[in-house]
Amino acid sequence: MSDDIRRWSEELARDPASLVFIPLGDALRRRGQLDPALKVATRGLERHPYDADAHDLLARIWADRGELERAMDEWGAALRVAPQHAGALKGMGFACSHAGRGVDAERYLVAALATDPTDATISAALSRLRMPPAASGDGGPRPSGPEAVRSIRDSSASPSHPAPAAESVSELELPPMPVSVVQDARDVFLDLLGDGEQTALLLDAQGYVLAGSYVVADGRDVGQDVGGALSGVSDEAQRAMRHLGLGEWTSIVFETDVAAVAMAPVVQDGEAAVALVAAARSVPLGLVRRLLRSVTERSAAWLTGTVGPTGAEL
Amino acid sequence: MTSVFLEMLDGFTRQRGVQGGLVVSERDGIVVDAHVQLGVRASVVAALAASIYRKARLSAEAAGLGGVAYVELAAVQGRLCMAGRGDLVVVLVTDGRSSVGLLRTALLRALDNLP
Repeated sequence: MSDDIRRWSEELARDPASLVFIPLGDALRRRGQLDPALKVATRGLERHPYDADAHDLLARIWADRGELERAMDEWGAALRVAPQHAGALKGMGFACSHAGRGVDAERYLVAALATDPTDATISAALSRLRMPPAASGDGGPRPSGPEAVRSIRDSSASPSHPAPAAESVSELELPPMPVSVVQDARDVFLDLLGDGEQTALLLDAQGYVLAGSYVVADGRDVGQDVGGALSGVSDEAQRAMRHLGLGEWTSIVFETDVAAVAMAPVVQDGEAAVALVAAARSVPLGLVRRLLRSVTERSAAWLTGTVGPTGAEL
Repeated sequence: MTSVFLEMLDGFTRQRGVQGGLVVSERDGIVVDAHVQLGVRASVVAALAASIYRKARLSAEAAGLGGVAYVELAAVQGRLCMAGRGDLVVVLVTDGRSSVGLLRTALLRALDNLP
């Protein structure tokens, strides 16, 4: 390791514009030399402000220093540059989890897993996140502050700079997902739906349910099945509108034998999601469209965190 | 040469805001007949509309919602309204001025005239 640090330092001295500052900063970080690591990373970022790996490095240094907010800012910056950056998605996933934002955490981890399906630490984190508290084992208090970010630090190593296996898996101590958070996400649209034969979902870009539910007669929530099957329609709509020159798509409505389904895009902070409303054929189409507008607005507000469960303003 | 769809499509394109009407094959996205204004690329519309309709139909079936009868895709500068039976889909391209409720009813009625 020290040989590598010496070699990378010399290379950086010869060529200050070199991207070698990334492995150098990460090596320093792993040795616990956080101040020099921070200096290397910030100087590197000055020269390469649009390098996602550089933002990812700085994020991990902030996480090591216990500054979760700053870490999330940097992972956010990395994702603006490279929306599929595996390290940043993973880091954001773990950081959101530790910040108690279970729904966001799951969204980021699912996206991270899509970019790197072989990463066992992400699968393990997702399983842990989805496990009810009683089944998650320890039942002890969730880590917070520096203790929490210490586990993020090593579990959020990017694929190009993987953490040693013993560290990354053993320290993957995610707090259990609070049941209340899951329940809140399901209830986000309840007050809009009333008692009618209608339901609403918010889907992420991959078709996973972020909020809402779709409960059928026997009490099962088939939201994920329906959402997954229908999310492809919005991709098709987006593609078609681009080719036809009619501008961005604003909604798609289709009537089936048993239901009227309406979907609309929800774009928040550069992230795309889709709001979906389904109603029995007996519900007037105009009402379905109005409901879709309300659900879309609620979804945008919920994603920004300005409304909480059951639509209560925060 | 006139097709059996000409009268139906002519009636649609007289409606306010309708820029074109087409009958397309859902399976391969080919134009069966079309009556469109200048500037509307019938072959492109047909291919995309058929693709959307097919996707909506397959997705709805996969979701357990049954068959699809009507699909409407709205965008900032216009919309596509589609209704289908069998392999044929009637597609309308409209601008923002169209009366969508009226067009939907007319489209669903027109399905009875499809062979």
